Amino acid sequence: MNTVWTMTTGSGTWNPLLWLLAFAVALIVSLFIRSKGRKDYKVDSGQDMPFISGNDEPKNGGGHIPASNMYWGFLESMKGYYKRVVPLHTGVVTDYLIWFVGVMALTLVIGLMA
Amino acid sequence: MKLSQTLGRSLWAFLFNSGSCNGCEIEMVATVTPRYDVERFGIKLVGSPRHADLLLITGAVTRKMAPRLKRVYEQMPDPKVVVCVGACGVSSGAFYDSYNLVGPVDQIIPVDMYVPGCPPRPEAIIDAVVKVLAGLEASEKSA
Repeated sequence: MNTVWTMTTGSGTWNPLLWLLAFAVALIVSLFIRSKGRKDYKVDSGQDMPFISGNDEPKNGGGHIPASNMYWGFLESMKGYYKRVVPLHTGVVTDYLIWFVGVMALTLVIGLMA
Repeated sequence: MKLSQTLGRSLWAFLFNSGSCNGCEIEMVATVTPRYDVERFGIKLVGSPRHADLLLITGAVTRKMAPRLKRVYEQMPDPKVVVCVGACGVSSGAFYDSYNLVGPVDQIIPVDMYVPGCPPRPEAIIDAVVKVLAGLEASEKSA
């Protein structure tokens, strides 16, 4: 292989042409396996759809499992807490600053009185 | 060993329970396990209808399972054959007047062979499969 293209370091050698060759071989093998597949199936029929234990294919996003599903047990067990806290979260920064200033002022007042 | 010359390969089956009591499934297990051992002829159960040539159906087809049965049948590649196993699938059996049934099976999809019995013996299931395969071969040759 052309030494101009080969990078030699203390950890080994790296040659982009060898990588290209490896990708080309993998592509040829993939296309060969694909060409061996059946071609007599009916396109846009049930034979073209994935098998999900007989169930219909979920629409876009229907098969997505959000984080809320993973934390379901946690949220369920602390339902009473989240029921009160979640409505307080408006997503508006000024609201959070008001809470911050208010709690800090209260802490200072309690601290000064103690 | 190739049982079928038409398919050019061994016959693979997909078992669909449309609401069976599992009596037929127990006989099916007996059919594929060492006592009867249909796998020696290349006939085996597969996990997806996409790989199957034969659809074995048990049960009387409940309302929930009817669209799934239809979908699984449509997902099988051609040529395909359907064998209805057990009295429930053949005629709804003891549940013929149930509010929750939409069967028997031939009300939902076309059936090539019926195996009556509650449950049918493995010999009867094997006989039906061999006959349906012979019928498939004959129709392929005449086509």
